[in-house]
Amino acid sequence: MSDDIQKKLQTELDSFKNVQKELQKAIQTRQQLDGQLNENEIVKQELDLLPSDGKVYKSVGPVLIKTELVEAKQNVSKRIDYITKEIKRIDDVITSLEKKQDTHRGSAPEITGPVSAGPS
Amino acid sequence: MAQISATEQKGMQQIDLTTLNIQQLSTLKQQLDQELNLFQDSLASLKIAQSKFQNSGETLERVTPESEGKDILVPLTGSMYVPGKLHDTDKVIIDVGTRYYVEKDIETAKDYFQRKIKFVTEQMEKVQYLGLEKSKIRDAIVEIVEMKLTQQQQQHQS
Repeated sequence: MSDDIQKKLQTELDSFKNVQKELQKAIQTRQQLDGQLNENEIVKQELDLLPSDGKVYKSVGPVLIKTELVEAKQNVSKRIDYITKEIKRIDDVITSLEKKQDTHRGSAPEITGPVSAGPS
Repeated sequence: MAQISATEQKGMQQIDLTTLNIQQLSTLKQQLDQELNLFQDSLASLKIAQSKFQNSGETLERVTPESEGKDILVPLTGSMYVPGKLHDTDKVIIDVGTRYYVEKDIETAKDYFQRKIKFVTEQMEKVQYLGLEKSKIRDAIVEIVEMKLTQQQQQHQS
């Protein structure tokens, strides 16, 4: 009987830890995306400030390649769109993982309930 | 279940901290500790960015029309240089992020760095303010946990 409880608790704990790990990873990705979004938005602001004949270069490895301002703007806007979508996606993942985590947190005391209810 | 999810919505709705149990409070404290760490890290990175911008801005002061034609050593690698002459000293190319570089004249370049310094300083102030608020909440939580613990002890004794 107590073996049974222990086993249950162990699997419960394992899956809880797994969820926690996944959540951590998702949050990290989310932060990274946030940073990228910020950077892109700042670049966009900067490009918008330029006169229409402003010279823009893109670094490809060690060299700078001249780019059209319009093209650069389009590129940055496209990237912002993409990152925003990615953030939405990862946000959903985070919410569902958080829900999972809470369920696991709630079910652990259910298993140990009668044991841990004793005086501390 | 419903109780636990309430701890996730910190800041979204008003929660009386005294109504939470010790487990919830410690989870909340953990979250706040993590956030505070993050703030410290951000502050450090912002400081680095700030000094970089300041450095670049100061360097621009020395790039004047008179430096046209002056000799410089251009680093090809970390340990190899070739001699060169300064040319086009009224223009510089600035890294604006995400691998884009923009050509600006000295005045707008100075303006650029000034703006960046201002922006970063503002962000630092914001982070500092938020950190202060969070650490206040954290202190409150610690206090309540201690209060609850003594309460529990008294109940056990009686």
